[in-house]
Amino acid sequence: MRNMSPRRAATIGMVFAAATSLAACSGGSAPEPTSSGNAAEGATTSEITFWDPYPQRADGSEWDKLVKSCAPAGATLVRSSAPQSDLFNQLTTAVKEGNAPDIVVLDNPMMPEAVSAGLLATAQQASIDTNGIDENLLGPGLVDGVAYGVPFGSNALGLYYNKDVLSKAGVDPASVTDWDSLNAAIEKVVASGAKGITFSGVAGEEGVFQFLPWFWGAGADLSDIGSAEAVSAGQLVSDWIGKGWAPRSAATDNQSASWDLFLTGEYGFAENGSWFASAAAETKGFTTAVLPIPGKDSAVAPVPTGGEFAVAPIQGTDDSNHYANASAVISCLTSGDVAVTTNETLGYLSAKPDVRGQQVADNPLWKPWVGAIEGAKGRTTELGPKYVDVSAALSEAIQGALNAAGDGVDVSAAFKDAAVN
Amino acid sequence: MSTATSTPSTSLAELRRHGAVRPKMAGFHRPRASTLAACAFVAPLVVYLVVFYAFPLMQNVAMSLQRYDRGTFVNGGAPFVGLDIYREILGQPKFWRVVGQTATFTIVSITVQYVVGLALAVFFQNSFRLSATLRAMFLVPWLLPVIVSGTTWQWMMNPDNGVLNSLVGLFGVDPVWWLNADHALMSVIIANIWLGIPFNLVILYSGLQNIPTELYEAAAIDGAGAWRRFWSVTVPLLRPVSLITLLLGLVYTLKVVDIIWIMTMGTGTSQTLATWSYAMAFGKGTSGVIKYSEASVVGTILLVVALIFGLVYIAVQRKQED
Amino acid sequence: MTRTWWKAPLAIVLTAVMLFPVYWMVNVSFTRRESIRKGQLFPFDFTTAHYQVVLSQQMPYLLTSLVVGLGTVALTLAIAAPAGYGLAKLSVPGARFLNFALIVGQMIPAVVMSLGFYAIYNRIGLLNTIPGLILADSTIAVPFAVMLFTAFMRGIPRELIQAAQLDGASSWRTFRSVALPISRNSAITVALFAFLWAWSDFLFASTLNREGGSLRPITMGIYNYIGAQNQEWGPMMATAVVASIPTALLLVLAQKYVAAGVTAGAVKD
Repeated sequence: MRNMSPRRAATIGMVFAAATSLAACSGGSAPEPTSSGNAAEGATTSEITFWDPYPQRADGSEWDKLVKSCAPAGATLVRSSAPQSDLFNQLTTAVKEGNAPDIVVLDNPMMPEAVSAGLLATAQQASIDTNGIDENLLGPGLVDGVAYGVPFGSNALGLYYNKDVLSKAGVDPASVTDWDSLNAAIEKVVASGAKGITFSGVAGEEGVFQFLPWFWGAGADLSDIGSAEAVSAGQLVSDWIGKGWAPRSAATDNQSASWDLFLTGEYGFAENGSWFASAAAETKGFTTAVLPIPGKDSAVAPVPTGGEFAVAPIQGTDDSNHYANASAVISCLTSGDVAVTTNETLGYLSAKPDVRGQQVADNPLWKPWVGAIEGAKGRTTELGPKYVDVSAALSEAIQGALNAAGDGVDVSAAFKDAAVN
Repeated sequence: MSTATSTPSTSLAELRRHGAVRPKMAGFHRPRASTLAACAFVAPLVVYLVVFYAFPLMQNVAMSLQRYDRGTFVNGGAPFVGLDIYREILGQPKFWRVVGQTATFTIVSITVQYVVGLALAVFFQNSFRLSATLRAMFLVPWLLPVIVSGTTWQWMMNPDNGVLNSLVGLFGVDPVWWLNADHALMSVIIANIWLGIPFNLVILYSGLQNIPTELYEAAAIDGAGAWRRFWSVTVPLLRPVSLITLLLGLVYTLKVVDIIWIMTMGTGTSQTLATWSYAMAFGKGTSGVIKYSEASVVGTILLVVALIFGLVYIAVQRKQED
Repeated sequence: MTRTWWKAPLAIVLTAVMLFPVYWMVNVSFTRRESIRKGQLFPFDFTTAHYQVVLSQQMPYLLTSLVVGLGTVALTLAIAAPAGYGLAKLSVPGARFLNFALIVGQMIPAVVMSLGFYAIYNRIGLLNTIPGLILADSTIAVPFAVMLFTAFMRGIPRELIQAAQLDGASSWRTFRSVALPISRNSAITVALFAFLWAWSDFLFASTLNREGGSLRPITMGIYNYIGAQNQEWGPMMATAVVASIPTALLLVLAQKYVAAGVTAGAVKD
């Protein structure tokens, strides 16, 4: 530049020096997260921070009141929420900066990655009781045999159907026992003038979650997502789009959006979760019921374990006290009568079979879901932290299949390409 | 002016005549104290820039030179790999496809926004009844939270019962699957143009207000028609404003993430450098894997692209001043 | 002029086309949940329930947004106006570099900035505070504001400045008494942009203010309706409508000044 006087150059130099020194400063002075500390050695503090992924449960809601009532005497509990992937990132930054919350409620497929990144304390360190919990539901939180947290309960996927639409089309729900009969049923529904089936194929973990019952129902395995079985599952959903049996917006709809479509009363079937069970019982203008999701050749396909784990993040300072906080709140939420309330408030079925039994006895709405939850498979149980990459590839394959709208060549290519990466 | 004030100018003129002082652009020799004052005026800005812009920028570049994963991000110890990650990213065919999509997105968005903004500004130029209110209402898209406007566009573009397909159906066109992989780019461009028109309208309109009406009258008297007047009077005089509008439009468009994200999550052809960087930095979109280093690399590349255009702008602006 | 009688109706049509998505928003905000995805042009299944929900829940967030917006305006003007004057009228060493830095500053993706801010704020304790958010939001507006002020103040006639200085006024006095009053239109334009950008910011609010409780802006308040598996679009659209009203009023009031303010020379005033 012209007019670059020595004074000017010095100013610029100073600016860069200041910036670089600030950048350097950021690296070193944050307190290092430690893996020491034990709840048994600490005492609860007066302020407890609690993070969960339920922003829709705002201050004053049932869940909010329940959580705050679990604060030990004399302590105040500060609760804040964020959507799941944001929550995980915020947790990462918070642990790095040494100001992690006392308790975090983390989505179950994120557990192995959280553990391998050194974000979580073990269940033993935080005195979290893992006894009495079903193995399949505890699985995602077990890394190398060590437990890192405990699930409150689980949700599951099922096949909701519109009784009025089905009876008008002459379809007997009991006849849906495998893919062929499901397709036949949808065909009849569409022929009668209604719309077929809604599901969520959105990019990301949510779409993969919805796809897994079909994937596993075809006999495919997460360790090989390019197999012929996987392709057949992709072909199934792709054909629905191609024949107009499922809305094309499925490629961008999340589970809530696909539920909104079902609520219009125009659709015969909806693949969605048990969290909508009470909403399903209150639909306006039509009645619903739920079937287990059929497998390719069997009446029930395995569904992925849903729900979140309550965990204690690694702390920078005063770890034992923070773990004591975690221990107090989590054990409050997962024991005795409060455990039932926790699950009822969240819309989950408890991870402990005895509590589950009580829930079903109190509320018959849960009966159709018990089988699905007891047969649920963990997504990360075999793959551990590698699951995240597999999920990413599978998501690409699903998107490719939905966009292909039935074209067999494209569907096959989508899955084969995803398997390579 | 009093005699006291005339003395400095006289001596200044004398000094100039003797060649002792070269005339600067302002034509006024500033004493030292004024330079200190000048620094004081911009000092808050400089500190502000260093802390809030330079620092995150350095951090971003530093991250692009080390290989991070979630673990090393939290606990430190990420290995320094120099330009390896840049090589990896630049070597992927996906990268060049995304660059192409970004270029299309940016160029089409800015061009159409600018043209429509200019047309509207000219349209509103001579006020008529309701023009002030309507012009203000054109700015309403700006007020809406992007999550709301993005979702609204997503619904309007629903392939099965969206209002946009009903509209094109009126013209006999088959329903379009707006948000599938192939058409995603076109769809997000449309929504982005809609979002960008208010900004262009505001700035170009005020630029137009600065053109003296006498020039238009003179041209009219000389027999120039409306179109001729536009090309000979409006366009040249609007050049500095147009330049800044286009540059800022470019910079802002290159950074756009939210409208694309809400509509398609960057799937299919709607993936741009900005959305790709965002997806990798936060583990959103198809992949939940956080790739801090790769995100920083793409972010830095984006910055370099914007920088090049910034330099072009300065060069053009300098040519204009000379 | 009768020649342009067609302008008003045409303008109405154009405005209607431009604002159609806004109409859609209002449409949805009055529609019952089960009919939202039906794609109807008019809220046949009418309900005011969403607005009731919003008015009972979102008011604290609206207030916070207002405070943050006004604070951002004040801070932006405080930093940008003197800087603009300095760059335009006083010879600042490194002015070209500073101008370049301002353009570059606007190119930095917000994602990059928010991560950097988190680290800084965590150290100096500005997390989850309103002043912290004001500071962060001002980074969206300050570079643009400085460019605007510089461009405008360059056009202030030298005679006015000289007159003040020869009367013995210091640079600051000249700035305050001569430059600022003339730059009123630019200041209002800057204020408008700064307010709108702060009002619609989500990224900084969600990164830096997540635990603020009701001290969070409306862009985050809206997220109360976005759950993990369940989103309520009716209340969200209603929130957007309610949140847009104050800003729309602001726009109508301010646009008179904005028109002349962006690049006008002082002579025009």
